[in-house]
Amino acid sequence: MHGALAVEPFLHWLAGTPFSTLMRESVWAEPIVETVHVLTLTVFLGFVLLLDLRMLDLVLRRKRVAEVLEQLSPWLFGGFAVMIVTGLLLFTADPVAFYSTLFFKLKMIMIVLAGLNVLTFNATLGRGIATWDQGTATPWKVKLSGLVSLVLWVSVVAAGRGIAYALPPP
Amino acid sequence: MSALAAALLAFCEWCNGSFFGHAIRDSVWLFPFVEIFHLLALALLGGTLLLINLRLLGVRFGADPTAVLARELRPWMLGSLIVMLVSGFLLFSTEAVKMYGNWAFQLKMLCLVLATVFTFTIHRRVTSREGASSALRWTTVAVSSLLWLAVGLGGRALGYVTTAVSAVTGG
Repeated sequence: MHGALAVEPFLHWLAGTPFSTLMRESVWAEPIVETVHVLTLTVFLGFVLLLDLRMLDLVLRRKRVAEVLEQLSPWLFGGFAVMIVTGLLLFTADPVAFYSTLFFKLKMIMIVLAGLNVLTFNATLGRGIATWDQGTATPWKVKLSGLVSLVLWVSVVAAGRGIAYALPPP
Repeated sequence: MSALAAALLAFCEWCNGSFFGHAIRDSVWLFPFVEIFHLLALALLGGTLLLINLRLLGVRFGADPTAVLARELRPWMLGSLIVMLVSGFLLFSTEAVKMYGNWAFQLKMLCLVLATVFTFTIHRRVTSREGASSALRWTTVAVSSLLWLAVGLGGRALGYVTTAVSAVTGG
């Protein structure tokens, strides 16, 4: 590999920016950003899990999937934005080290797959939501979509924990 | 040292020497493995509490009574709390004696007891029936959120306190 995508030079450039240095050397920046990243799990991941469990008919069965989706959406988007911004900030502190770990690459792949799962749902099952979302048992395709989401996000958490152990000690 | 403090310290020493304390400490993978459960349960406990509290403030889920939503979410809230307590205890057992003297950990445990008691008493009563006054609902949400947030912040802080203590004592 000779950096066909020029990833490595970019990471080294990023690591040399004043902002990266600030994130790395400040006593408070990293703990604060990481705390926000972890505690926002309650909003983002908590609501994702509840939505997945609803699609699997395991919680909130009195409410239609469409209703749960509509009620949770603004919080899912807001929570995701906070996760992405804080995640990018943590990455910026030491991009070369992060990228060097297998777990970081796995985590990014899982996030992309989870995103593709959402896009697939919106393009197919989501379009006909009124026809299958009638309060009786949820169709197996919808359950499968929820299960895939559940497995992918659990993997994202697992890979994220893995990064912390794979990173070289400071 | 008071009798209570001595008993707590003895308990911490027992945890440190227990088979699970040893097993998790000696394994490369067990500690992060247990942490994953702790984090997933954090998400679900926080998510269910947040949804119930938002409903209490009238922000989410329309006209359906709070009690109905709370009753549906309660098994998942309790389940994730149990997973949090068990996984948290296992993580604690790997360095229980260190945690005994860690002020962030002590604060976390104090807030955990208060938050749990509050959840099963006042929070439960207010979310079990309709007609609570606006002031009571807002106060309940505020106390619940602040106590659980303090538990979370204590958990984040204890890792940094451990490092600082080790740096001072060279341990």
